[in-house]
Amino acid sequence: MTEDVIAQRARALASALTESGFARLRVRDGETEIELRRARGGAPAAPAQAPAAEAPPSERPSTERRADVLVSDVVGVVRFLRPPLTEGQELDGDRELASIETLGIRNPVRSRGAGRLAAILVTDGQPVEYGQPLFTVER
Amino acid sequence: MFKKVLIANRGEIALRINRACHELGVATVAIFSEADRNSLHVRYADEAFCVGPGPVVRSYLNIPNIISAALISGADAIHPGYGFLAENGRFAEIAADHGLTFIGPPPGVIAAMGDKATARRLMREAGVPTTPGSDIVASVDEARTIAEAIGYPVLLKATAGGGGKGMREVHKPADLATAFATAQAEAEASFKDGRMYVERLIVNPRHIEVQVLADEHGGVVHLGERDCSVQKPSHQKLIEEAPAPVFDPALRDRLHDIATTATRAVGYTNAGTLEFLVSGEQIYFMEMNTRIQVEHPVTELVYGVDLVKEQVRIAAGEPLGFSQDDMHPHGHAIEVRVNAEDPERNFAPAAGTLSTVVFPGGPGIRVDTHVYGGAQVPPFYDSMLAKIVAVGRTRESAILRMERALGETRIEGVKTTVDFCREIMGDPEFRAGGIGVGWLPQYLARRVQPV
Repeated sequence: MTEDVIAQRARALASALTESGFARLRVRDGETEIELRRARGGAPAAPAQAPAAEAPPSERPSTERRADVLVSDVVGVVRFLRPPLTEGQELDGDRELASIETLGIRNPVRSRGAGRLAAILVTDGQPVEYGQPLFTVER
Repeated sequence: MFKKVLIANRGEIALRINRACHELGVATVAIFSEADRNSLHVRYADEAFCVGPGPVVRSYLNIPNIISAALISGADAIHPGYGFLAENGRFAEIAADHGLTFIGPPPGVIAAMGDKATARRLMREAGVPTTPGSDIVASVDEARTIAEAIGYPVLLKATAGGGGKGMREVHKPADLATAFATAQAEAEASFKDGRMYVERLIVNPRHIEVQVLADEHGGVVHLGERDCSVQKPSHQKLIEEAPAPVFDPALRDRLHDIATTATRAVGYTNAGTLEFLVSGEQIYFMEMNTRIQVEHPVTELVYGVDLVKEQVRIAAGEPLGFSQDDMHPHGHAIEVRVNAEDPERNFAPAAGTLSTVVFPGGPGIRVDTHVYGGAQVPPFYDSMLAKIVAVGRTRESAILRMERALGETRIEGVKTTVDFCREIMGDPEFRAGGIGVGWLPQYLARRVQPV
């Protein structure tokens, strides 16, 4: 992504962070990772960009919870699992959360590890575009 | 008529198609990459879908996401614009499989014209003159035999080639083997197709192309020719005009006849362009572009026809509303491509943020652009920022108007071709007209090393 696109995305995420009440928000897309942390005053801090490989977990205070926003990497229609997941549900590992159907092909959306399904941002049958936030998983 | 058209493109052509659709009362769906989120084509469309990140392979060439966006939005047709998927027969086929009308010719015609050796063969069979040369050659030895038969200099060309890739000039037998190997390797790498053919190199021809429109009811008209001989050393067009200046009327009539004959012979429908090389009295078919072209506005201005609207109408099954006898050109039009390129550094493309953007106006000026002050020029795409088109009653008045318009143009933040094109407008050889494709490279060489 170009710096401009990263900045745009970071701005959009900053408002999500403000509304969510999370201390930290991270979005990963291919080689780019955007992480926002709430400043002490409560407003989101300036966005910092780091390659996915950097940002060692040891730097994170153990008490601070992090929210990963899972985004769609295709254009398609959301298909929930049967029975559908519920907000607040604990995920015991890398689990399938839903799929995005594109031209009859099911593209699974996975939780990328354990955590708490903090927010479901889409509804079953909803059309989504590339990069559209689907779920928030709190780690 | 369609209810909703998905525009599978970006930049000025996406805006151009959006305008045509809205004038026809057709709703539009834009697609965009993450790098184009703030682009005008996204803002002006009725709906928009992000289809991928900046790199074209993952966004503007992402067939599943594009078709999916069309289906989700309820579009009934797709306009591919130029570049990207415009000449991809497979894309046209996939669209049709999903019940979407592809605004262009049938997939089989796209595929046949996209394969240069096949196109040459079909044209020869239709009686259209092509450059002396071969079909696909099996080996470098066969290429050598053919080169000797037709005489040097020759051009080695990849049948899947385009944009100057997979093409080499060979002036003497000793250079043939190396040129063949490098051109073939380039074609393998760029097009995954290393099949080559040989043709006679026409030295410094004019690039003259004919615009055609064909409906699905047998109606075929031409809208005259464009002269696109001002080309960069990379063979990319920089300045185009209609009609061709200093052109024998009998030769012009013959060219137009050839174009309409060829259009009928290959079963063409929708808007298309037949590109020819013209050398003296000789006309040679080069290729057929099965899409709208960048330089279509010069034809629109002299014929008073909206080519993009006609494309949509034809694809919707409507007959052409006019015959050849209704087509009369008026005046002369010139187009300059304003690219984010540095003419002083071999037209190296530039990316960045545009600070000041002021386009010209006034009588006889048309500007097709997607940029504005503060707009980003992403590194992923074609460097064209705008097309400035001037129309006048005569070629001279169009040139004077273009000089004036380019003088009014201010684009800051990246280097552009504006000042360079203004310099060309004042050049006595350009003003005299009738130059060949070798003219601009020679001009650049003279400019770098003043005698």
